[in-house]
Amino acid sequence: MPWLTALNARLSRWALYIASICLASLLVVVVYGVVMRYGFNDAPPYVEQVALLLVISVAMFGASTGVRESGHIGLDSLVRTLPPKVQFWCKVAVEVLSGAFAVSLILGGIEMALSTRGTTIPTLGLPEALRYLPVIIAGVLIVLFCIELLIALFQGRKVEASWH
Amino acid sequence: RTFRSADVHNKDFPTNKAVIFMGDQLSKSTGGKDNVKVFGDSALGSEKDTIEQVKIGALDMVRVNFAAFNGIVPESVLPALPFLFRDMDHFRKTMYGPQGDKILAGFEKAGFIGLAIYESGARSMYAKKPIKTLADVKGMKVRVQPSDMFVSMVGAMGASPTPMPYNEVYTGLKTGLIDAAENNYPSYDEAKHFESAPIYSETMHSMSPEVLVFSKKIWDTLSKEEQAAIRKAAKESVPFYVKLWDAQEKEARAAVVKGGATIVPAAQIDRASFVAVEKPVWDKFTPTPELKALVQDIVNAK
Amino acid sequence: MALTVLCVSFVLLLVLGVPVAFAIGLSCLATFAVEGLPFETAIQMMVSGMNVFSFLAIPFFIFSGELMLHGGIADKIVAFARSLVGHWKGGLGLANVVASTLFGGVSGSPVADTSAMGGVMIPIMKREGYSAAYAVNVTTHASLSGALMPTSHNMIIYAFAAQGAAGMIAGHAVRGVSIGDLMFAGLVPCFWIMVCMLVAAYWQARKFGYPRSEDGRSMVHPFPGWGTVLRTFVASVPGLFVIAIILFCVMKGVATATEAAAIAVTYSLLLTVFIYRTMTRERLLKSLAKASKTTGVILLLIGVSNMLRYQMAYLEIPETIEHALLTATQNPWLMLLYINIIQVILGIFLDMAAHILITTPLFLPLAMQMGVGPVQFGMMLLLNCALGLVHPPVGSVQFVGCAIGKISIGEATKTAWPYYLAIFIAINLVTYVPGFSTWLPSIITGHRVF
Ligand code: NA
Ligand code: NA
Repeated sequence: MPWLTALNARLSRWALYIASICLASLLVVVVYGVVMRYGFNDAPPYVEQVALLLVISVAMFGASTGVRESGHIGLDSLVRTLPPKVQFWCKVAVEVLSGAFAVSLILGGIEMALSTRGTTIPTLGLPEALRYLPVIIAGVLIVLFCIELLIALFQGRKVEASWH
Repeated sequence: RTFRSADVHNKDFPTNKAVIFMGDQLSKSTGGKDNVKVFGDSALGSEKDTIEQVKIGALDMVRVNFAAFNGIVPESVLPALPFLFRDMDHFRKTMYGPQGDKILAGFEKAGFIGLAIYESGARSMYAKKPIKTLADVKGMKVRVQPSDMFVSMVGAMGASPTPMPYNEVYTGLKTGLIDAAENNYPSYDEAKHFESAPIYSETMHSMSPEVLVFSKKIWDTLSKEEQAAIRKAAKESVPFYVKLWDAQEKEARAAVVKGGATIVPAAQIDRASFVAVEKPVWDKFTPTPELKALVQDIVNAK
Repeated sequence: MALTVLCVSFVLLLVLGVPVAFAIGLSCLATFAVEGLPFETAIQMMVSGMNVFSFLAIPFFIFSGELMLHGGIADKIVAFARSLVGHWKGGLGLANVVASTLFGGVSGSPVADTSAMGGVMIPIMKREGYSAAYAVNVTTHASLSGALMPTSHNMIIYAFAAQGAAGMIAGHAVRGVSIGDLMFAGLVPCFWIMVCMLVAAYWQARKFGYPRSEDGRSMVHPFPGWGTVLRTFVASVPGLFVIAIILFCVMKGVATATEAAAIAVTYSLLLTVFIYRTMTRERLLKSLAKASKTTGVILLLIGVSNMLRYQMAYLEIPETIEHALLTATQNPWLMLLYINIIQVILGIFLDMAAHILITTPLFLPLAMQMGVGPVQFGMMLLLNCALGLVHPPVGSVQFVGCAIGKISIGEATKTAWPYYLAIFIAINLVTYVPGFSTWLPSIITGHRVF
């Protein structure tokens, strides 16, 4: 399915861009807070909460690209000693299970977002539900990546990283 | 059945002992049918996490500070209003009385059954120098909790509110990253903050208490008798708690003095100078006529 | 029942090759299902586990490490270490130990350290008459000191995990652990590890006659002269300065540990852009992207570990383990031995972040009952975790080192025992000699550290 590969390569790159932008903003916000407090004796009270929202975005978008570009650490030395046929099905199982975890991220994220939509984040006034948005999007991305990796497995291909 | 209750303090803290006591009372009155198991030390998550768990019914009960409910229950802001209570007696008369019950009733719309209010002493300011009047605190960097209310309160005093994680406060005070922090005696003692900021001025600016809530989702599945038994046990735990808390506070006060802290007693604080600037904060956090009436009711209580 | 589901599903998923973070998450979800708990609570615990203010230091320390890595600081440190000890027998091995320890302090991450030092040193060492296994082992083991340095994000994770610690140590009431104390506590053990590694590397070089050419001739370089030593030292000082900046900020109260990490990034940026002039736009973007990805991988692990921590508390596992261990022994020496053995075994399966978050609530209260303070225990724990990074089957630092040296894990492990021994000695010193980790921070901060 070339269109899925094309889409995923783009999504994976974008996710990494978003994560990078959030990381850069995180740096700017925290340094701004230090400068304001140390230099001007006027600590902006919202820095902490903005930074927390940003870090969850860095983490979830970063983690989702990690799935496509095999960045997550796992134990594969045992599987490698098995016959190729068994190895193949183990790999299939890994992708299916990873996908299942991502689905739980989506569903659980939506449930939590609904449950916290009436709660406000102190010093920001934004809904608490916002915190779960990166989790839901990352879940969707990971599901897409797992599907692609599964298809590639059955076609005997390797998924090319969109970025090195 | 066993109701699970969460707490952020360790198992010997008065709040935990009070909820355990409440469980014992409940067990007695239901002939052993119902009891309570307390999970202390934030084992089941932060205050915010456990409140959410109670709301969705993953957890039966939780004991947190009122501050944790500020973004959820409008009434929960009231007892923390700066300089609302004249002294501890005023607090007890109202919060363990009809006004307290009214505030607890406010939790129901948000999905919680408010069972009991437990006092948490008065929060006062501590720094390297005494804070007796408004002028003393002006321009100081004061550590506050990440709460709109505390940010506004400290801002209204002309100081610079500085939110900072609790575990960084000790070093922050020591090194001058912040000039002052504010808390009650037991926390001042427990976190050893008196080592870095040895002058504790009894400004008693806020008395935000603790609250014990039950999950409405689970509450609605209980029989009327069980509900009544739980409410009764919770009420019975309050005098038991107050005794423990009093002892804890006295012990903490003695400990900080022994540790080298100097106390500026409430009598030496120019309370009026503070009260004058905090009126706009009251208005900001009591946006509805009902809330304003409740505050007036508390103020009028003799 | 729930406990069985938790353990069995975790081991099965791990053996199947599911990434560790997903394996922890899935086994927790399975247990949530068995317990009849709403599974959105699991997701909530994951998010709140990642959303901790002090954890902001993690992306910053990782980012600053990446900037130092891509900004070519590694080459300058290597040049200095090489000119200093490169002319001795096994000199490149010794230079590698010194350089890896120093860059460990700059990056605070054994993995970043191994990729930086390994990338430079392993090819040179192979070319100049050292075996690949020797080059890999020296690099990976000396890099472990990064975990104990002030720039270590793992120290931040531990400080968070231990914040509720309370107890009496040697007649003093101890509560929580300060990140400043921890940062200074790592320095002596780091220095000691470096010395042990130097001895091990020297001994092994003598034994195998490194460096030797194909025909067995020895090939030692001449000393380049003190002028070169001084020049290369001056060139690498600005890079090393980042350690001093962090310690200074935290100690003098310019900033919290989190903010100090952000200042470290700013410094690394200014240094590589304006002083070293090695930072290009591409390298900067690459550093940002790599740091984001690594942050994601580590924070996801932290998140699912919090899920697991919740599940364990719910099943009252910490109490059970504490009870079992206290029944087994009341002798502090034995108890600490047991704790270390369990830590080493857990290190086989768990990654560092997960290891710290999961085992701190299990063993810190016990260790404190045995008179070990939270700072000392932190050093024990970090060293045990570090050992896990270089031993098979899941050793991320060993993976990176072997990949650079193009050898198998087995080949590296065969000749690794002198280095394991060095770490083993360090672990025991930290465990049984409190002053080893608490003396320096007590002197510097002016209050007793436990
Ligand atoms: Na680092
Ligand atoms: Na390992």
